[in-house]
Formats: sequence, C-alpha cells, structure tokens
Amino acid sequence: MAELTKAPEKTSMKTKSAKWKRSRRESSLWWMYLPSVLIVVLFIVYPFLDGIRISFTNWNGFSQTYDYIGLDQYKRMFADPDTWLVVKNTLLYGIGSTILQNIAGLGYALLLNHNLKVRSFTRTIIYLPVIISPLIMGYIWYFFFAFQGGALNDIFLLFGKEPINALGNPAVNPYIIVFVNTFQFVGIAMIIYLAGLQSISKDYYEAANIDGATGWQKFKNITIPLLMPSITINMVLNIIGGLKLFDVIVALTNGGPGNASQSMSTFMYNLYFSRQDAGYAATQGVLMAIIILVISMAALVYFKRKEVEA
Amino acid sequence: MKKRVTLSVLSLSAVMALSACGNNSADGGESGGGVKLTMMSTATTKADQQIYKEIVADFEKANPEIDIEDTYPGDGYEDLARVKMAADDMPDLFDTHGWAKSRYGEYTEDLSDMDWVKNLDEAMKPILTDDKGKLHAYPVNQALDGMSYNKTLLDEYGIKPPKTFDELMAALEEVKKKSKGEVVPFWLGGSDKSQFGQYFDEFATTLLITDKENSHGEALLDGSFDWSNYTYLPEKLKEMNDKGLLNKDVLTAQVTQGAELMAQNKIAFTMLNGSVGREVSELNPEVQVGTIPVPAIHEGDSPSWIGGERHTFAVSKNSEHKEEAKQFIEYLTQPEVAKKLAEGTSLPDALTNVEADNYFAEFYKEYEGTQIQPYFDRVYLPSGMWDPMGATGQELIAGTMKPDEVSEKMEQEYKRLRAE
Amino acid sequence: MDQLSKQAKWLLTGLALLITLFHLVPFYILITTSLKKVGDFTSKWAFPTSFNTENFTLAWEQANLGNAFINTAIITIFAAVLLIFFGSMAAYALARRTTKLNKYVYMLFVGVMVIPPLTALVPLYRLVVDIGLMNTHLVAILNNVAAFMPLTIFLYAGFIRSTIPKELEEAAKIDGASTLGVFFRVVFPLLKPITATVLIISSVYIWNDYQFAIFFLQDSSVQTLTVALAGFFGQNSSQLNLVAAAALMASLPMVIVFLFLQRFFIEGLAAGSVKG
Repeated sequence: MAELTKAPEKTSMKTKSAKWKRSRRESSLWWMYLPSVLIVVLFIVYPFLDGIRISFTNWNGFSQTYDYIGLDQYKRMFADPDTWLVVKNTLLYGIGSTILQNIAGLGYALLLNHNLKVRSFTRTIIYLPVIISPLIMGYIWYFFFAFQGGALNDIFLLFGKEPINALGNPAVNPYIIVFVNTFQFVGIAMIIYLAGLQSISKDYYEAANIDGATGWQKFKNITIPLLMPSITINMVLNIIGGLKLFDVIVALTNGGPGNASQSMSTFMYNLYFSRQDAGYAATQGVLMAIIILVISMAALVYFKRKEVEA
Repeated sequence: MKKRVTLSVLSLSAVMALSACGNNSADGGESGGGVKLTMMSTATTKADQQIYKEIVADFEKANPEIDIEDTYPGDGYEDLARVKMAADDMPDLFDTHGWAKSRYGEYTEDLSDMDWVKNLDEAMKPILTDDKGKLHAYPVNQALDGMSYNKTLLDEYGIKPPKTFDELMAALEEVKKKSKGEVVPFWLGGSDKSQFGQYFDEFATTLLITDKENSHGEALLDGSFDWSNYTYLPEKLKEMNDKGLLNKDVLTAQVTQGAELMAQNKIAFTMLNGSVGREVSELNPEVQVGTIPVPAIHEGDSPSWIGGERHTFAVSKNSEHKEEAKQFIEYLTQPEVAKKLAEGTSLPDALTNVEADNYFAEFYKEYEGTQIQPYFDRVYLPSGMWDPMGATGQELIAGTMKPDEVSEKMEQEYKRLRAE
Repeated sequence: MDQLSKQAKWLLTGLALLITLFHLVPFYILITTSLKKVGDFTSKWAFPTSFNTENFTLAWEQANLGNAFINTAIITIFAAVLLIFFGSMAAYALARRTTKLNKYVYMLFVGVMVIPPLTALVPLYRLVVDIGLMNTHLVAILNNVAAFMPLTIFLYAGFIRSTIPKELEEAAKIDGASTLGVFFRVVFPLLKPITATVLIISSVYIWNDYQFAIFFLQDSSVQTLTVALAGFFGQNSSQLNLVAAAALMASLPMVIVFLFLQRFFIEGLAAGSVKG
C-alpha cells in the first residue's frame, strides 16, 4: 500500500536537483552520525593534520613563537641514529610480539580444544592478564626482573650464580618487553583460535582419518587453511597493538638505558616533554603513522589473500 | 525534524552537563567560601616532602580560610611544568628550581616589593632578579652541592676527602680495596637520568669554568664552545665503570635507594645532596654523612661548591589569589619557619636574618671560603640540556655510546636548543 | 578431536596445569609481595610469614586511590555510554544508507583506526589547552570516545548488515515510526551482543589507559588509577611492597567484573572473531 503512494513521489524527486535527495529512501541520515564524526574529527583528524604541520617547524612545545623550517626535521630524522634504533624496536615489539603471541596462542588453543577438566580454569588464568592494565603488568614483571630483589635473580643466587641486570641491559631488555607484552595478550589469540578451531566441522577430520592422514597432515591441510580468518584477525590486531606499545615500556624500563628500549611512542613522548622538541616529535609521529599504515595494510592484504586461497 | 532537534539538544545538554561535572572536580573548593591555592614543589625525597607538608599544615592552621593543595611530582616536575606552561596554567605557587629567569620568567609575578627582600642573601639576588629589577621567586633554601659520602666508612678506612679528581679516583679505588669489593665506591641511582646529569653538571664546573687557564665560559655563552673539551667527563665515568667503581646496577638503581644503602654502609660516595644526610642518620644513627665541594680537575685549581636555587616559590602571574599566595611566602620568611625549612632540607637558608643549624654545618664551616659557582647548565647551556646530559650518561654506561660520541650529542643538542 | 586415550588426556591435563602454573607466577608474586611488610626484603618467591594489610591502607591513602578510582569510573562509564549511544546510531545510518557520502564517511572512520594516538598528541594538547579543557573529566571522556568510535562503528555496522533483517525496520516504518524510533525500538535491542562486546572491550581499555591519561589528567584531583599508580611507583621505587599493594587494589575492580562476567568477555570476543 505504502509503495503505491510513494512511487509517483519518487519519480518526480529523481528529476529534481541533488539537494532534494532528502527523500526518506535516499537520505544518508547524516544527523545520526554527525556527533560521532565531529568527535573523531576534532580529537583525531584535526590534531593529526596539525601534527603534520608542526613537523615542519622547530617548535619547542610551549613557547608562543616558532619558525617554519621546511624539511629540516625530516632530514634530521633520517640522519639520526636514534630514529633507526627506535623504529627497529617498534618493529620488534610489533612483529615479534605478534609472532610469539600467535604461536603460543594457537598452541594453547590446540591444547585446550579437548574436553579436559582443567580447561575452563586454565582458559581463565591465561586470559586474565588481558584485563589488567599494561602498566600494572609491566610493574608485576618488574618485580620479577629487577636487579635488587627480583624473583629471577633469586633463582640465580640460589644456584650460586651472579645476579643479572636484565632490565638495564640494552641488548636484552627489548626482548623482555616483547615477552611481557606477549604474556599479557596471548589470551586473546588463544580465545580467537579456540573459537576458530571449534567452528571447523569434524567431518573434515573424519574424512582425513579415513584417508589415513597423519596428525601433521591434518593440521597443515585442514586446520590452518580453515583457521585463516582467525589468523588474519589475530595478526592484524596484534601487529597494530604491538606497534603502538607504550605502557609496558614505561613500567619496565622507561625506554632506557638512554634510548635503548624506546618505541616510537615513548620516544615521541620523551621528545615532547623532556627534550623540548615538539617539532621533531611531530616528525617522528608522521613516520610512525606511515609505518603503521604500511604494515597493517600489508598484513591485511597478505592474510586476506591467504583466506581466499584457503 | 522535531526528533532530530530534540536529539541534538539532548546530546548538547549531556555534553554540557559533563563539562560542568568535569570542571567542578578539577577546580572544586571555591565554593567553600575559602581560598584554595595550588602549589607545586620539586621536593623529591621523603624527608624534604615531609618538612614541606608540615609547614603547609602549620600555615593552614594559622590561616583557616586558606587551603593549600600541595603536590610533589618528583622527577616528573619539569615535564609537568612544561605542560602547564604550554597551557598557561601554572599553579598559584611553583618552584623555579634554578630556572626562575631563563625558563619560568614569563610566568612569574614580581615579588620585589615584599618585606623579606631587604634580608635576601646577596648571593641569591642576581640569580633571582632580572635586569629590569623584577624579583622572580622566593628562595626557600640555597643549593650548596658537591658530593656526599659516608664519613663513617671513610674514617674507618683512613681515607681523606678528596680535593682533586685524581684524589677522588684514588679514594674510590681505596674503598674498593679496603672493603674487598663489598662497598660500592661511587653510587648513582641511574635509572633516573638526572643522577648522571648531576655528575656531568657539577664536574663541568671545575672542568670548564673555574680554572683560569681552562675557562670556557665565554665560548659557551656565545656558541663557539669546542665540545671536545667535555670528553674528559664521560671518559672518566667510563673508566670508573670499567674499574668496577660504580654500582653494578647503576642503570636501574632507583634514587630512593641511595639513603637506605648508605645507612647500611653499602656505598661510599654519591651525587646526592641536601637532606640525604638527615635521612641516612635517621635510618641508622651510627652513620655520619659528610659533604665536600666538587673536586678540582685542573692542576692548581681549587674545589668549588655549586650553588644557586634549590627550592623556591614563585607566584604565578595569572594566579587568581596572588594576595594569599604572597601571604604564604611571607609566612615562610618568618625566622622560625625559614629555620625549620632550612634545617629540614639540610641546606642553607637564603635570608640574612635567619640562623639555621644544618646537618652539614660543620662541613660548610670547614670549607668556608670555598668559591660558590652557579649550576653549569643553568648559566652556560640553553634550557633543555638537562635531559641529554643525563641520557648520554646512561648510554655511555650501557655501552651504546663512546665518550667522544657523548660530546658530539651534547653539541648537537646545544646547537639545536640555542637556535630555538 | 576428542577421541583421546585416557593416557593422552592425563598428559594434556598435566601440560595444561604446568602452563597454568607458569601463568600464575606473576600473580603469585604480586599478591605475596603486597602482603609483606615494608622493609621485608625476603625473596619474591617466599610466602609471607604474616599477612600485613597495612600496606593496603597506606597505599590507598598515599596514592589517593579512592579519588583515582572515582575518576576512572566516571570517565569509563560516560565514555562507554556515549560510545554505544552515538556509535550504534552512526553505524545504523552507515550500514543502512549506502550513499556516496556515507561510503566516504565510513572510510574515514576505518582509516582513522590506523592513526597512532600519539601522533595526534602534540597538537591535540594545544587544542585542548585552547578550548580550556585541560585536566577535566570531559576531555578524557571525549578523547576515549573518539579513540574507540571507529572500532565501535565497525563492529555495529558489520553486525547490522549481516544479522538484522531489513524487514523488521520496514514493518515498523509502515506502522508510522520515525527513523529514530525504528532504530531505538526495533534495531537497538537486537544489537545486544555487539553492545556487550563494545562495552567490554572499550571499558577494559579505557579503565586501563595510561598513554592518554598521563597527558591530560596530570592534576592530582583528576588522576585515574593508572596515572596515580605510576606516580606512586616513582615515589616508592624502593618500597615495592607498597607498590604491589597499590597495583593489586587498582586491578581488583576489573578482575572481579571479569570473573563474574567471564562468559560475556570470552564469548563476545570469540563470536566477533568468527563472524569476521
């Protein structure tokens, strides 16, 4: 009934100018997302664009005056050994954590995919760190790795060995950060894989069993391909999260010693607040955005393609 | 259409209600009929903070209409202050910790017409007054910094307090030998960059300023300074580390552990100053802490105290309660209060009409006549060099930077910050 | 995969228990450290000889945890409510009306997800100062809403498109309901699963946020739990027992909520991931 009365309206509307697109059918309902757009533009888009602008200045972050210095900050950034150190760390945190989390997460999921009595309990404990602040998780592991009175060194002392200063050792502490980050979020990977595993129909496995396939063959040819969507999600989420790592670093090493364990985020924070170097901080920010964009796009494309293939 | 309008109005009112809610929690206190002052101090150690808290409580008792919200951001003070400056939101009372003119100058209220000014110690006058006659802050105490050491241990080992850097190195080796490696000769709470900064900052004075034939003050001020002259300091620090004269965990040790360790006779020399003496003796009355001025480096030169601002209070130019803020400062200038503060922080007061008994009084007396130099970075370096000064120290010890690279980095930052 | 021999099951159970033990280590250390008296420097592995609760009261007062708790709660609750309210509405419009404009707007939201928060930080700071919102709850609420809006819209839109049949809405419209009415009375109640997921994900993250809070909420009156904790650590880095107590108290609310609502946490995540 309603259709009939609306039809003639529609045809006449179509012949009018774009402004009249406001017929119920075609309206974009912009007023429903206007507040969201405003908030996002104001708090993210505008500052980000302004950040790009600041990267062309020598602003120190708090004075009222500064100069535009063209590409000087960018030239400086590419020549600065700290930049490469920090990018390396960021990639380590992002990709390293991702790989570790996924291997461990998948492993845990495979283990818990059986009807074990302890399954629920184990699942809860492994997932628990996810809901704790990364800052707190960092502090907890600080109690473990600290030179004075740390749990790890107690073990060393017990065996009569010298205590080690893991957190103060620039060759080692980035890996500790990767470990702690992995520990905290492996629960998420596990849950996603568990869900994925459970959505794989048993029929596949039964058919493979009849064909006499080995465990490994089943895993490679059935499990992995059908898990692809879960793998994609895990990979992309973990990479982005790892690249943006901040809290854990502050708690464990505060980026030290010097800049040895800084990620791009902590480095930017340090540049802005302690070094009076807002212009340079903004430049690093642009680089960071590009890196994250490139990597997440690459990861997404790569894994989506694998999904399609499977 | 009506629904859309209602929606927008509702959303808007919700947001406004939230902002009202938010603002109340942030400012709250005006409504009580009294005045609320915000105060920020750099007092870092527990001992120092305690004395300030006591004084604030006493003041509030004597002036019930004034409520002071005192905060002690510790080593986060400078970062927080920069943030507040950018926001033009300085607290009513804040500490200028050595940068009254060169960093905070735009944000301070002129105090030159206050009563206590006539009693201000001559040494502090030029530090706090600019050439227009504006007095930027009230000095609660004066820095009189050098190195502090465990006198009890040194006496036991028969080691005399060093007057030159070479004597210092020898003393450190003696400590290591005599204690069979049990006592750390030179301890730094290096997880905090400022500990390294303190080493560089203090010794830069005797390295680059005090000796007549090796004085680079002019060059530093006009930008022509050759930074290879600085390399002596990182080289020596590295040497100390290589010889095992620094604490093994120098990169992760926390500053707050210093007093405890000295009280347990586990460390000998530190770059801690001021209230560390009181703190140690309170923990263990049998340990006596001593202090020496910064040892000389060049032949024929003499040691030097590093002086200048330590804790100060400036009144924010934008404060809405300048009268009450000034009232607080006046309260601090009363002889008994000033004495209490000076003794509590174990540093000399800055008023001529105050007699304070200091923990380090006997040492100050012993070294009376020793020259007092201002903090190197405050006078000769642009604002913002403190961070790289400390960070390069960390990197040097971590092995990621060589001594000459330290000087290079310092030079880089020096040039960049001068240009800002 | 559940045709396992009893032996295999025991083996796997043992393995699972070992792993669980490993994962419990940090919590064990946290709890035991917090129960030890200040100045008790016994090994972190050692069980406390006496249960001292004074650490908790001391830490609570000195770190001003009560105030921090209230601040965190206010910010989290308001942000979550705003996210769900505005986010679901926006997602509905974008999911149902695929005009060119909407396509661009949707791409805007997805694109924003990639921007690392800290790159917007420096200028955002200036902006917040200029508007006069430094150290207010509002700025933290709005900032968190902005940060999670893209993901929220993404999740809601996906769900609406794939799960909500259009017929329901059309039926309601025929009955004379306005767009808003249709949305709130018909569609929104059906969005419960995603609402739960969004609520949980954003609440946990906002509650635990440190990066942003440390920038904009440095005033002690508006500090959140994480900021207060970080400051407390700095002041008491040689008295870890106190820090442990503070950390334990700060984590407790989320842990309790989690333990009670486990199902929603885990199932929401699982369901969301399978749907894609």
